[in-house]
Amino acid sequence: MTSRRPNRILAASAAASAGLLVLAGCASGGSADSSGDDATAAAEIVVGSQNEPTNLDQIFGGSSGVTEVFTGNVYEGLFRITDDAEVEPLLASETEVSDDGLVYTFTLADAAFHSGEELTADDVKYSLERFVGEESIAARKSQLSVIDHIDVVDDETVAVTLKQPSISFTYNLGYVWIVNEDAGDLTTSSDGTGPYALADYRKGDSITLDVNEDYWGEAPANGGVVYQYYADPTALNNALLTGAVDLVTSQSNPDSLGEFEAAGFEIIEGTSTTKELLAFNDRLAPFDDANVRKAIYSAIDREKLLDAIWDGRGELIGSMVPPSEPWYLDLADNNPYDVQLAEQLLADAGYADGFTFTIDTPDSGVHSTVAEFLKSELAKVGVTVEINILTDDEWYQKVYTDKDFEATLQGHVNDRDINFYGNPDFYWGYDNADVQNWLAQSEAASSVEEQTELIAQANQQISDDAASVWLYLNPQLRIAAEGVTGVPENGLNSLFYVYDITKA
Amino acid sequence: MTRYLLRRTGLLLLAFALAVTILFVVLRVLGNPVFALISVGATDAEIAAAAARLGVDRPIHEQYFAYIGQLLSFDLGQSFTNHLSVGDEILRRLNVTLPLTLLAFTLSVLIAVPVGFFAAWKSRTWYGTAFSAASQLGGAVPVFWVGILLVAVLSLGWRIFPAGGFPRTDWEDPGAALYSLTLPVLTIALVAGSDLARYVRSATLDILGQQYLRAARAAGQSFATALLRHGVRNGVVPLISILAIQLSTTFVGAVIIERVFALPGLGDMLLVGIKEQDFPSVQGVLLFSTALVLVLGFIADVLQRIIDPRLRDSISGNRRTKAVA
Repeated sequence: MTSRRPNRILAASAAASAGLLVLAGCASGGSADSSGDDATAAAEIVVGSQNEPTNLDQIFGGSSGVTEVFTGNVYEGLFRITDDAEVEPLLASETEVSDDGLVYTFTLADAAFHSGEELTADDVKYSLERFVGEESIAARKSQLSVIDHIDVVDDETVAVTLKQPSISFTYNLGYVWIVNEDAGDLTTSSDGTGPYALADYRKGDSITLDVNEDYWGEAPANGGVVYQYYADPTALNNALLTGAVDLVTSQSNPDSLGEFEAAGFEIIEGTSTTKELLAFNDRLAPFDDANVRKAIYSAIDREKLLDAIWDGRGELIGSMVPPSEPWYLDLADNNPYDVQLAEQLLADAGYADGFTFTIDTPDSGVHSTVAEFLKSELAKVGVTVEINILTDDEWYQKVYTDKDFEATLQGHVNDRDINFYGNPDFYWGYDNADVQNWLAQSEAASSVEEQTELIAQANQQISDDAASVWLYLNPQLRIAAEGVTGVPENGLNSLFYVYDITKA
Repeated sequence: MTRYLLRRTGLLLLAFALAVTILFVVLRVLGNPVFALISVGATDAEIAAAAARLGVDRPIHEQYFAYIGQLLSFDLGQSFTNHLSVGDEILRRLNVTLPLTLLAFTLSVLIAVPVGFFAAWKSRTWYGTAFSAASQLGGAVPVFWVGILLVAVLSLGWRIFPAGGFPRTDWEDPGAALYSLTLPVLTIALVAGSDLARYVRSATLDILGQQYLRAARAAGQSFATALLRHGVRNGVVPLISILAIQLSTTFVGAVIIERVFALPGLGDMLLVGIKEQDFPSVQGVLLFSTALVLVLGFIADVLQRIIDPRLRDSISGNRRTKAVA
């Protein structure tokens, strides 16, 4: 009789637990429907990304995330870099260049900022000066430091005078945002001229862009875009599989592609500008000897590596230049995979018995896997590799700033970055006077043809010297749900224009 | 009691000051935030300018005193990377982490009390043993693994719950917010509940074997009356400190599980902060958590003394004895 009493306590607790679950269940039913309706009505595109900007101002951080979400969408430059890496006029409706190539006079398009203020020459002057100013740590600042001074001619006309001719000037301007001079702090708010305006910024979660109803150009094809950020790649994949996001900007793990393909998702493979490279410290023996570098290059089966890392997607390249750049040469076989050749080159350089060196590898991405692969490949020619794993900020300190390393792995993401080989003080210390001259002259070239020819020459030379080992070019993989169209294919320097994306 | 409260408060503040200092030093030994901001191509001058802007180029003791001054005026500073106010960010993130913790904690207690009690009451039967084995197992499983499992079955498989995320409108629609928290709450509650059930079981076993319970039963009280009148009061005192610890653990569990479910809470703020070497954010979150754990311990101690007069007496009694001696 008494023994039944505790049952009642048990039952009460169980009922309470069940009640809580039922409550949660009820709540779920209602909300699932309503949120579904909202999404369809607004035709809003939800973009899943792992590349969350560290902040919203391009001059205060090296994060490519801010390019992905804002460049071309919220902010516009005087020029636009298309998905095919071409330069098109955007806010600069007309451009006049003086005969000596030093003065660029831009006539501005009739555009307005999201705040309603008209775009004026003052805004352009302010934006360019802020980009190259003291506070700025923008990734492309050094390329723009060729600017000597900027004059406001009238409200719609601005003249930029350069210190020396710069053939890539308009291309480089494609990345510089024109911001409203009166906007104030842009690290958490924004005021641009683009087809979208920032509606909501939830750090650690999402950035919402609303369509700019008063956009001066062609209206976007969708009703707004949400960038939903995921720190964890599995969480991002789950979001795509369950329909929480419509597409992902970049898929870094090819293992899951089969699952998506089978489920009816579209895999979009474009070309990126991200080059995975084994960079030597070319100042140090034995890497100051080009034959040693070539030997290492030829000892590595890059085809096998690409298969292992990217399931055969992506491309083999033989230098710092990807096919999307005008001075691309097919150099994939310039330092061929040939173990015998590698042994021969090592013997010629006086290392018939091999040697030992350390690869400093960042712990992010695929670098440590690549390092293990290189270790086993180089063991075949008697070269012993020791692997030292670093965090990203340790890498910047030890390798990039202090140049205290023998070899390192890094993914270089920027387009047109062959110029790093023209700087002997750069972390890898490649020092070839011819290459430095060609690259310097190319910037001062009077025509695009001349520029292309000079850089191609440098391109050939750094490959002949095996200045670094360019292991492969990453593919740009995006995955889109069924019915999603207009997704940009390529991923040039993280540019991602969303205005053509639609959802059925 | 007043003296006890004063002494206990003093200890609390000391522990907190120690945490502030250790955290400050450790973060600065471990990394340099400038290198998380710059990208390849940055010149030495740009790196130096960025360090100056963040103030990390100053001697560490100067940075420390500036930071303490800031804390004393209840300012947690501004993030190095996104320039948002750390205090405001923490408050915003608590919109996710606090309900997650409290719901998970409540549910874990609702699971643990009946399960633990049942396992103790029926400890000599096979199903009682099975219950206690299940709670052993549940407590031993890593919380993120349970999360992944639940996602695989209930989100990817049956599509009942979302695999992650939190409404962008926060709690404007409480139903939607609760819905997105269901799986994370369940995940933490299952693990924390199993853990807690083991304590409830041993506490119950302990009470069931006590003389006073038998005496009460012999005096004619029913099992339930005896348990409620004498058992619960005796059992609840040790349980309070366990619950306080459990609440802290649930909070930590919430911080971990946020990543699995892509929830924009304190856990996300902490992990991203560590990745970006964003000292103010990391310090802010860790100090907040430390303060929370310390205060919970404080409240538990005081509560125990209020409920159980013997604890009060023992301290003052000791004092008196000492004074006499």
